[in-house]
Amino acid sequence: MKTTHIFIFLFFISQYSFGQLLPGTLDVTGFPSMSQSINDLVDEAGEDDASYGFESVFDASQISFILDPYTNPITGFTTSSNQNCTANIYRYSVYMHTQNPPQNTVVQAKTTFNSGVRFPAAIPYDDLIIRPLGPRDLTPENGGAYITIPNQGNVAIKVFEFIGCREQIPIQFKINPSALAISGNSNFNVIYTVVGSLN
Amino acid sequence: MKTRLTYIALVLLVSTSLCQAQETLNANDPNTFIFGGDQKSTSLSVDILPVAIVDVEPDPGSFGSGGGAAADMEAGLPVTGGTAGSLDNLWLNFTHRALNYQPARIYVSTNQPVPAGMTIKVQIISVGAGGDYPKNPNYNQITLSQADQVIVYDFANGYTGDGLNNGYQLSYTIDNPGGASLPAGFEVLYRIQ
Repeated sequence: MKTTHIFIFLFFISQYSFGQLLPGTLDVTGFPSMSQSINDLVDEAGEDDASYGFESVFDASQISFILDPYTNPITGFTTSSNQNCTANIYRYSVYMHTQNPPQNTVVQAKTTFNSGVRFPAAIPYDDLIIRPLGPRDLTPENGGAYITIPNQGNVAIKVFEFIGCREQIPIQFKINPSALAISGNSNFNVIYTVVGSLN
Repeated sequence: MKTRLTYIALVLLVSTSLCQAQETLNANDPNTFIFGGDQKSTSLSVDILPVAIVDVEPDPGSFGSGGGAAADMEAGLPVTGGTAGSLDNLWLNFTHRALNYQPARIYVSTNQPVPAGMTIKVQIISVGAGGDYPKNPNYNQITLSQADQVIVYDFANGYTGDGLNNGYQLSYTIDNPGGASLPAGFEVLYRIQ
C-alpha cells in the first residue's frame, strides 16, 4: 500500500517538474511618461544638466514572468501556470537596453530588493530546509542603485535577478539629459530580456 | 621576489576589474532567451526642458573693493584692498539647451546709463578649456551702454564648466578722466537668449 502511495506521489511530481527550462511569458505593463520640471534643471551656469536628472514614479513599469501552461504530448495532460511555477523553480536574470533614446541623454533604471510578488505566493519549495536555488527572492544588481541602460542590444545590461516566477516587479527610471540634448518630447523603447537558468 | 610580487599584483588587478564588470548579454540574439526566457519592449516618453543660464565668476560677493561688486566700485580711485587683478580674472559661464533648435546669443548691457565722461569697455580675451560648447566669441572691445550688444555670437547647446578658467574670460577697461562716480545700483547685465 505504501509503495503504491509513493509511486502515485512520484508520478504526479514527475508530471509537474521538468529537467529542462519550461517556456514562460514576460509581461510588461505601464508606459512611463516623464517630464522634467523646473526644479530638476541645472541651477548653476556652466554646469551640465546631466548631473541633475529626473525620476519616474517607483513603479513606472511593472514586469512579470510566469511559466506557460504545458500540455504533455504523450499523456495529453495539461498543467497550469500555477502548477508549473510551483514545481519548477529556475533562476531568472533580467537584462535591459534601449532603442533610440534622445541623444546625449543617459537612461537609468532600478528596482529594489525583493520587490514584486512571488507567484504563486506560497509553495512547498519555500518550506524546504535546503532550497537548491535559495529563497524565491529578487536581488537587484548594483546594490539596488540606478544602473545605466545601454543603447545597444548586444550589451544589454543585467538589472536584477529573481528565483521562481514573479509578478508586479516595479521598475523606476531616471533620465539624465545633458545640456547637449535636444529639448522637447521624444519617445523611445525600453527592451527587457529575461534569461532563465537551472542553477 | 620583486617580479613575483608584480605578477601577483597584476593578477589581482585583472581579477578585480573582471569582478566589477557588470554582466551583459547580447539581447539581439534570440538564442540567449528563446529557451526558458522571453523578451518584451515598452515605450517611454520623455519631455526635456530648454535651459539658458549665464553668470560671471567669481561671484561678485567674493570680491574686495575694486572687484566686481558694483557697490564697491569707485571709478577713478586706485584698486586697493581687493584681489589684485580681479577685474582681469572674470569668467562668463553659461549652460544652454535650445528650444526648438534655436541658437542662442549672449548680450551685454548696463541697467543704467553710464555717467557722462566715463566709458566702460568689456572684451573677451580668452576662452577656457572646460565644458563642451561651440565657441563663437566676439573678441572686439564693446563699449557698454543700456543697449544690448552681442558679446557671444550664435551658438548651439552646450555648457562651459563652472567657475574660473571656464567659459569666456572678460576684461573691463574703465576710462574716467573726470573722476565721475557710478550711480548707486549700477550693474552690467549679461543676458543669454
